[in-house]
Amino acid sequence: MEIKEEIIEEVLVCSINGEINLDTSPHLRKLFDKAIHNKRKRVLVDFSGVTYIDSSGLATLIEMMQKVNKIGGQMRLSNLSDKVRNIFEITKLDKLFQIYPDRHRALENFIG
Amino acid sequence: MEGEVYLNYSIKSDLKLVQPTVAEIIGKLKRTVKKETLLTDLRLCLEEALINAIKHGNQQKRELEVNIEVKQRGRRVEFRVSDKGKGFDTTNIPDPTEKNNLQRPSGRGIFLIKKIMDEVRFFDGGRTIFMLKYLD
Repeated sequence: MEIKEEIIEEVLVCSINGEINLDTSPHLRKLFDKAIHNKRKRVLVDFSGVTYIDSSGLATLIEMMQKVNKIGGQMRLSNLSDKVRNIFEITKLDKLFQIYPDRHRALENFIG
Repeated sequence: MEGEVYLNYSIKSDLKLVQPTVAEIIGKLKRTVKKETLLTDLRLCLEEALINAIKHGNQQKRELEVNIEVKQRGRRVEFRVSDKGKGFDTTNIPDPTEKNNLQRPSGRGIFLIKKIMDEVRFFDGGRTIFMLKYLD
């Protein structure tokens, strides 16, 4: 898994390439913890390159969202493939996360 | 979907073995199962079952083994994953989609398996999970 970090108009955009699974989730958690440490209140996770997610990946994202919410911030997800989106829908996590079809729409009116 | 597959693995309770073991099994199933989305579903369910067996079943005690049996014949793909743990109450698995559980980070492995596979059964007090998927 590769993660590219960018700051776009005060939003931390994490573009993930590869799988979010048991092996790679700790890398993502580390990055998220750094973002929380740096008081990043607006986080967008771009799923364009995500090919697979398992329950440990979902757990990592939930933990991150809770941490961002705790510091008064907001986390959004964008560009989920049909396959990955299906996992969110099965688990009803599409109701918990703010999911946008693309990065542009996710960045619009981002309130931190 | 010609031919059939029978595999039997025993692995130590080491989470690092989950991905390579499942990758090897899915690689062998590719001979008969051609649909990529189906292979991804099978991979996810087998990985979730193995993680549960190692983490919750065998409590990550490396010396305890997890047994994996794979059968593919005709339209059926069967997985049987067994651990050496204490088992659990399979009649009382919390639903992670319920309002009070939705925010809980963990507890989605078995739920995903039940949603994706066509048949899921537990044996031996929860130490063995049987999963069946029909190929279209």
